[in-house]
Amino acid sequence: MARRAPLEGIRVADFTWVWAGPFCTLQLAHLGAEVIRVETATRLCVTRLLPPYPDMQAGTNRSGYFNQYNQGKKSITLDLKRPEAVEVARRLCAASDVVAENFAAGVMDRAGLGYETLRQRRPDLIMVALSGYGATGPDSDKVSYGPAQVPLSGMSSVTGYRGFPPMHVGISYGDPTGGLHGAVAVLAALLHRARTGEGQYIDLSQWETSMAVLPDALVEYTMNGTPPARDGNRDRHLAPHGIFRAAGHDRWIAVAVEDDAAWARLAALLGRPELASDPRYATLAARKLHEDELEALLTSWTSERSPEEATATLQAAGIAAFTAATNRDIAEDPHLRARGFFVELPHPEVGTRQHIGIPWRMSASDCRVRRPAPCLGADTDAVLREVCGYTAAEIDTLRAAQALA
Amino acid sequence: MPGALDGLRVLEIGDLVSAAYATKLLADLGADVVKVEARRGDLARGRGPFPRNTPHPDASGLFLYLNANKRGITLDLTHPRGQAALEALAGRIDLLVHNVHPTLMAAHGLDYERLAAANPRLVMTSIAPFGLSGPHASYRGPDVVTWSAGGVSTLNGLPGLPDLPPLKAFGDQSGFQAALNAAVGSLGALFARLASGRGEHVEVSAQESVAAILELTFEFWPYTGLVASRLGRKPIQPLCFVECRDGWLFLCAVEEHQWQSFVDLMGNPEWGGLEVFANRLARGANFDALEPFLQEWCRDRSVHELYEAAQRRRIPFAPVSTMGDLLASPHLRARGFFATLAHPVAGPVTMPGAPYKLSGTPWQLRTPAPTLGQHTADVLAEAGIDAAALSAAGVV
Repeated sequence: MARRAPLEGIRVADFTWVWAGPFCTLQLAHLGAEVIRVETATRLCVTRLLPPYPDMQAGTNRSGYFNQYNQGKKSITLDLKRPEAVEVARRLCAASDVVAENFAAGVMDRAGLGYETLRQRRPDLIMVALSGYGATGPDSDKVSYGPAQVPLSGMSSVTGYRGFPPMHVGISYGDPTGGLHGAVAVLAALLHRARTGEGQYIDLSQWETSMAVLPDALVEYTMNGTPPARDGNRDRHLAPHGIFRAAGHDRWIAVAVEDDAAWARLAALLGRPELASDPRYATLAARKLHEDELEALLTSWTSERSPEEATATLQAAGIAAFTAATNRDIAEDPHLRARGFFVELPHPEVGTRQHIGIPWRMSASDCRVRRPAPCLGADTDAVLREVCGYTAAEIDTLRAAQALA
Repeated sequence: MPGALDGLRVLEIGDLVSAAYATKLLADLGADVVKVEARRGDLARGRGPFPRNTPHPDASGLFLYLNANKRGITLDLTHPRGQAALEALAGRIDLLVHNVHPTLMAAHGLDYERLAAANPRLVMTSIAPFGLSGPHASYRGPDVVTWSAGGVSTLNGLPGLPDLPPLKAFGDQSGFQAALNAAVGSLGALFARLASGRGEHVEVSAQESVAAILELTFEFWPYTGLVASRLGRKPIQPLCFVECRDGWLFLCAVEEHQWQSFVDLMGNPEWGGLEVFANRLARGANFDALEPFLQEWCRDRSVHELYEAAQRRRIPFAPVSTMGDLLASPHLRARGFFATLAHPVAGPVTMPGAPYKLSGTPWQLRTPAPTLGQHTADVLAEAGIDAAALSAAGVV
């Protein structure tokens, strides 16, 4: 029996841009939805304008950032400042099951594409709006950029080296966290619609989804009035626990000793089996008191080994450890390659390049990256004809009116 | 009000974050989730935070957050009678989500083929640090390990201080990412079942869940052969932290119109017009010179005043919120974000609430997290299992 995609037959009109929204609709594309990105050449998606580009040569369709997070989608161009284009967008939404957008609150309403308008023609529509601050509330008109969500959410105030200022986390973490929550909400709404025939509107605030993944810090404050202090890579419940220097230039390995038995195994590996029962280290409480010495001891061992060698040795002994991987390490990771994690599909402008695939596998359904990221507007004519029902002559008229820019 | 997932029956076998957050997402939208714990209890029960800093297995803040809206039972899945009870329970549900380590799945009766033989509509989702297949499948990985194996740690550090290690983000973030992917995969499988009538086995890798969120950095290798590093200089600025008189502020003014507005907000200081700060790339290249000017100007001002003044000009600054700031936010209060739930042991606990607002089927907090084994007798009785006999055998 041919494998069927979970969301076969589901169409998504995707007005999102940058990262959070496209990451939401990426998940739906992985599951087989027909995701149609609505873009415009008059204001390109931010990620099309950011590197990396092959050979450092910029180009609308050449960004690795865009091409990573828009795999499996189609692209049409509409200049929504033109009323003819707004009507095309409305027809597209009427023919879609889901509409996704991540503009600042109110932008879609002002463009004539608000939920109340769109549901007139499509009563069972599911619409998801991913904004920085949410659609309601006194701060809903504030503007938000991905990197700003990390400090806004409280993550920065509890992330950092001991005694140092608040830190970022290295990525615009609020974006994927918001995007994935958006995908969960859309899928739940689709299941509800399948049972009841009812659509709905989903208001998602990235600020709130970012706090949903910080419960321990927030509840510590609400329970005891004290937030956790920034403490580097240490953990209150595991020791040693951190990222330690390995042999080689700027190479590091993450190690976590999960319990006393793991500590005993590590002590043996370090050539110091007597430390397993040493009262300074035998229990978690004792190891936390002597963590500086413990880290020095562990570092003297890791710093003489490559992170790969140390990982193999530690994991063979049942001690959690792994190379602090760079992008190159990820690309070359034999395990990820063996699992078929990467996607390499030919793209008309960048050729066949390695992209990140799907973090989950399904035993029966057809879940995969179906096509590379689209070139700008590559599907405009086909979508207008086949989805929106325009004739070739009407499409020419729209193009002449510059509605399809 | 109805929930989007009303009627969905879910079993969770989870320690700590990943499986528990995946099923929390479903429970909060109406699913009936039963959490199965070993007799020692979910490890999250030992993690806290605890009221008055006094540990109690039924009062851990992390556990209470992750497991509200669920019922809880204890079951020794390493015991044959525990596995028989699991099979009986799995015959009555739609979805089983677990994060039992792959090396221990068989010993815990977690064999999809066997469970599906009795219930072909069953979806089972397995979450593992490195997935269920491949040469590292047996590897262990709490968050510092999977966050690093997925490649985010090496992106975070202080460029001038190469001896400081790559820095992980606070909390079990790879657990949350794996949970979100598990929820997406599980709901996808449940949607597929509408057409096929059959369940399937979904597996989620925490390492891959992290590698999937490397923003633009991963592609630098396949596209340009460049290795991303925490020690590199940010290409565009300002995108930085500054210390104000009452806290920290994140400056974000990377579009030229935002920068011009910010210069205007600062009263057009002479340095704002210097050629070395003329555009965002120049400000990135000359950030060593720019940073002291920015820091100096912000030092005696308040975070809130600067944040509001910048936002009035559409400049996306953000405060470095403390936990106290978040709890006091009028915006979050107006949206009703924080939720307070009374718990029989912990008392009233205030925690993060709805991550999204669904207009027709709202997110809802109904019941507090279960005390250890609170619903064992009820849930087993529903499945026609004699809890007393299992208890006598030491299985529950």
